Order: sequence, then structure tokens, then C-alpha cells
Amino acid sequence: MAGIIEIKNVTKEFRVLNRREGLKGSLKDLFSRNYKTVRAVDNVSMSIQQGEIVGYLGPNGAGKSTTIKMMTGVLEPTSGEILVNGCVPYKNRTKNAENIGVVFGQRSQLWWALPLIESFRLLKDIYQISDSGYDEMMKLYGSLVDIEPLLHKPVRQMSLGQRTLSDILAAFLHDPKIVFLDEPTIGLDVSMKAKIRTLIHALNKEKKTTVILTTHDMGDVDALCRRIVIIDHGKMLYDNDIEHLKSFFGSYRTLKVRVDGDLAAQTQQIQGQYPDFSVTCDEQEEWISVLVDEDRQKVLDVLSQLQKTHRIKDMQLEEISTEEVIKKIYEEGVR
Amino acid sequence: MKRKGLRFYLHIYRKILAQDIKSKMSYRADFIISTIGMIFTNISGFVGFWILFRNFPSINGWSYHEMLFLYGFSLVSITPVQCLFDNNWSLRQQVYSGDFIKYCFRPINLFFYYQSEVFDIKGLGQLAFGIGTIAYSWSRIGLAFTPLMLLKLIVFLITASLIMIALQNAAAATCFWIQNSFYVLDLAFRFKDYAKYPVTIFSTVFRFIFTFIVPIAFIAYYPSLVILRPDEIPLLSWLSPFIGIAFFFVSYKIWMRGATRYSGTGS
Ligand SMILES: Nc1ncnc2c1ncn2[C@@H]1O[C@H](COP(=O)(O)OP(=O)(O)OP(=O)(O)O)[C@@H](O)[C@H]1O
Ligand SMILES: [Mg+2]
Repeated sequence: MAGIIEIKNVTKEFRVLNRREGLKGSLKDLFSRNYKTVRAVDNVSMSIQQGEIVGYLGPNGAGKSTTIKMMTGVLEPTSGEILVNGCVPYKNRTKNAENIGVVFGQRSQLWWALPLIESFRLLKDIYQISDSGYDEMMKLYGSLVDIEPLLHKPVRQMSLGQRTLSDILAAFLHDPKIVFLDEPTIGLDVSMKAKIRTLIHALNKEKKTTVILTTHDMGDVDALCRRIVIIDHGKMLYDNDIEHLKSFFGSYRTLKVRVDGDLAAQTQQIQGQYPDFSVTCDEQEEWISVLVDEDRQKVLDVLSQLQKTHRIKDMQLEEISTEEVIKKIYEEGVR
Repeated sequence: MKRKGLRFYLHIYRKILAQDIKSKMSYRADFIISTIGMIFTNISGFVGFWILFRNFPSINGWSYHEMLFLYGFSLVSITPVQCLFDNNWSLRQQVYSGDFIKYCFRPINLFFYYQSEVFDIKGLGQLAFGIGTIAYSWSRIGLAFTPLMLLKLIVFLITASLIMIALQNAAAATCFWIQNSFYVLDLAFRFKDYAKYPVTIFSTVFRFIFTFIVPIAFIAYYPSLVILRPDEIPLLSWLSPFIGIAFFFVSYKIWMRGATRYSGTGS
């Protein structure tokens, strides 16, 4: 079945001016321009079905936002084919816009001076939402978040979290088939993140909205996505279920210990003892985590060795977390 | 309502406008101060004009009151660009910072959506001032007041406004291609100061420039000839409504072309 989004061999290149240094360089730039090409997205293909939530992941500068801009019709692909809802986004930007919602974290699209409710009413007219559709959506919003205090506040007086929440509500208002969320939880506190995850989850369930989500917070991924797509340097590294990915790392387990003494110093010491494993510390909860590859050494061996050198107050054993899986992939690639 | 029809856009515009004015009114001090500022700007502009011209009974065959008419005419024709297209002034900043991208996600005309965001209410005072000046000079020159004359006045005021808008659109749109486009926009806006003089007082070189390159002579001079010099109307005056429409259309195309090839910034 053809997906609601079909991307085939898409590449996007930017031409950027190679600036020369110094005054002499600037003068040279005036006369002979030296361009270099940056390949932001490199031969990416994927197919996304109606109703999916896809986590689109990758380190900074991987090409995620660029891909989203192409799917929304703002950027034209250098080569390859994109079909969103059966039409080519770049050629039918306004038509495509009727069926999608977009949120770029930290860049509000609402009218700055207007109270949220007025923005909503304008959107109702712009997207020609029927009265009943609008009322139904507002009722749904009312049941999902505490929307009342936001409605009469001008957007510019809102906190970042309130604004992001409002932007997400605005993006879903016309019941679009697809919503693109580019780092929607960036800069938000723990409780606002949780609220937004619940909201996205509920709207996806209720309205069968397809959601493409980019984020650097694996909490978002754990809460929302079954399928993830990973790209790096514009190239696709992975496209499948997250569980499948974790099974690659089946032999990895995380040993967490609490020990006496200075946290940072102890972490360093343990890292010194196990140079092959990644050792990290969580300063808030004072855990030291050792990511153990059981093909090399059993977790229980590591524990008993540690007991000889350190006074262990508490310990926990965990399967590898999404965060660690993703980190390993960014660092080492998929094997 | 048909999407993209004129009614649709008027309806949206009215709504945004009403909201915008409401929210501006709520910042009362701000509103009052900027209104006072606007009144003083107009008065000082007028005083400058008066000092310059009261000593000359006529310049190049233009009487004081005719000059005054031209002055009023240019004030009125600059009002639409100030009220309705003021957001052009922030275009450069928005393009540079990447915020411009937010206008690209709505299913309506990009140019309309961008310009509709800002309505500069201060321009209305200038409109009143300009209309007053036109009315005063009209009666002093002793022009007839017939429906036909009024129709001509309105048609040519619209023409002049279109040219002013076109000039500003094109100047603002340069930011899609070059970095330091502020100077272009600023320059274009400064040129309007020359619009209030009869183009015949300039040297041939400038006359050519102001007619064919930066067509500010069409903002007040050529259109008002139709009213002030009905016996010797040059062809360019009759052509000016078409030139106005053509210029506006071209500037709109340039603006839209810039906007659609806009690639944004990283992230
Ligand atoms: N308008 C542009 N002009 C030139 N280069 C660009 C432009 N936009 C993006 N790039 C480059 O393309 C690459 C991918 O950028 P993109 O914004 O898509 O990354 P990203 O995956 O969204 O990263 P992040 O997680 O940091 O947001 C980067 O190397 C970036 O510098
Ligand atoms: Mg990004």
C-alpha cells in the first residue's frame, strides 16, 4: 500500500559561499565567488503509513530539519521524488499546506500580539474549518489539557512551554492528515514535556494523525514512537522498530551503582578499571552507570570486582536504554 | 466561501485588522505617543516645505499652491504603502534569522499572509493631513469640483499608490538575494521625498532616472498633471495607471519568486 508520505532517493544540496579570510579575501570574494556544495540530505528513501508516529532521529546537522522542510514544500529537493498525500509538496505548497500541520520548536507561528483564542478563530477561517469540526476539536483539547488559562493570553506573554503547547494545539486544529514536529520539547521542563507527550499520543490515537517527530530527547521516543528512522550526515542509517534495534544490542546491560566518595572521581576511577565500557554518572540521582557488554564480561563479574574496590551502597541492573542505543549508533553506526 | 477568492481574502484581512487594532489600542501610552510623533512629523515636513517655497511665487511655472497640491498628493499616495505594507521593513530581519519560514506553512497566498500581519495605524493621520492639503490647494487654485475631476483624482491617487508600493516591494525583496539589503530599501524610501516636486525642476539626467529607472515621477508628478494641466497632458500621464498596475504586478512576482526560492537558515 502506498504510504501517506513516499520519499524516493531524495537528495538536497545547498550551495554555500566559501568565504576567504581577511580583507584581501573579501575583495577576492567580490570578484570570483568560490562556492562549495553541502549535501544535507543524501539519497534518503522512506514510506510512512497513515496514523504512524515516526521518530526521525540523528545528531545535530544530520539533515532532519532539511528533510522536513522538503516534505512541507518549503524546499525543493535537488533530486529524487517526494509525494505527500499524493502530491508533490514543492509544486503545490498551498494545497499541501491544507493537509499538514507544522511546529518548529522555539519558532512560534501564532500571531504574536493576539490572544490564543483569536489566533484559533483566524486559523478556523484560513483553513475553513467547519463550526462543528472546530467545536469538537476545542472540546477534545479541553479534555486533554488545561486550555482555559491560555486562551485569553496574548502569545507574546506566554512562557516557552505555554507557547509550544499552543503551537502544537494550533497545528492539530484543522485536523490535518500529517503533523510535523521539529524538536517540540526543546527547552521544556519535565512536566511540560510529559504533558506534551500525552497530548501528542492522545491526538494521534483519537484523530489517526500521522506524526513525524524529530527530537534529541529519547524520553519523547520512548513515550511516542514505535518506529524510528535515523540519519547522519544526510544518509539513512536505520529504519525500523525500536525494539528491533535494541535486539542488536541484546548482550548489553547497564549496571548502576551508588558508591561512597566523590561522584566524579569515582566515575573516572571505574572508567579506568573498565576502559572498554562506557561509564557515565547521573549527578542528580548519584548513580554511576556502566554499560557492560556481556559477550566480553558478565555483569555479575563486574559487580563482584567493584565490590572489592568500592563500598557499594546500592545497585540496579537494567536492559540497555534507548538513549544508550542511539548514542552507540551515532558514535559507531549500525553494524 | 471559495478559497482564494477575493472575498475570502478580504474577510481574513478584516479580521486580522480588527484584532490588530484592538490589541494596539490596549497599549494606550504607546498609541498616544506614536500618534503625537506622527502629527509632529507631518507638521515639520510641512513647515520645511513652506519655508522653502513661500518666497517663490512660482518655480518653473509651478505656483505655490500647485506645489502644495503635489505635496498633498504625494502624502496621500504614500499612505497605503505605510499602512498596509509596513511589514516589508522587517522582511530582511525575518529572512536573515530564518523566522520567515513560518509564513510558508499556511494554505493562503504567501505575499498576502506576510503583509496582512502588520497594519500601521499611524499612517491614517498622514492620510487626513494629505487630504486636507489637497482640498485646500484645490480651492485656492480654483479647480472645478465635478464628479469627473473627483474620479480622475481617485484613479490617479490609486495609480500613484501602486507605484509606491511596487517600489517598496521590489526594494524589500532584494533581501532574498543580497545580505545588506537594508540600504536598498532605505534608499527607495528616501527617493519618495523627491516625489513631491515637479520632475521638470530637476536636470535632464535626474528627470530620466526618476521617470524610467526609479519611477518616482509617477508617484505625484505625472498623475497630477492630469488635474493641474488638463491642456498639456503628456502621454506618460495617461499611461501611468497601466504603468502602476504593471509595476505592482512585476514587484509582486519578484517578491514571490524570492520567497519561493528562500532556503532558510540551518536548523
Ligand atoms: N539554508 C541553508 N544553507 C546552507 N546550509 C544549510 C542550510 N540549511 C541547512 N544547512 C546545512 O545542512 C545540514 C543539515 O542541517 P539540518 O538543519 O537539516 O540538520 P538537523 O538534523 O535538523 O540538525 P539539528 O538537530 O541540529 O537541528 C547542516 O550541515 C547545515 O549546516
Ligand atoms: Mg533541526
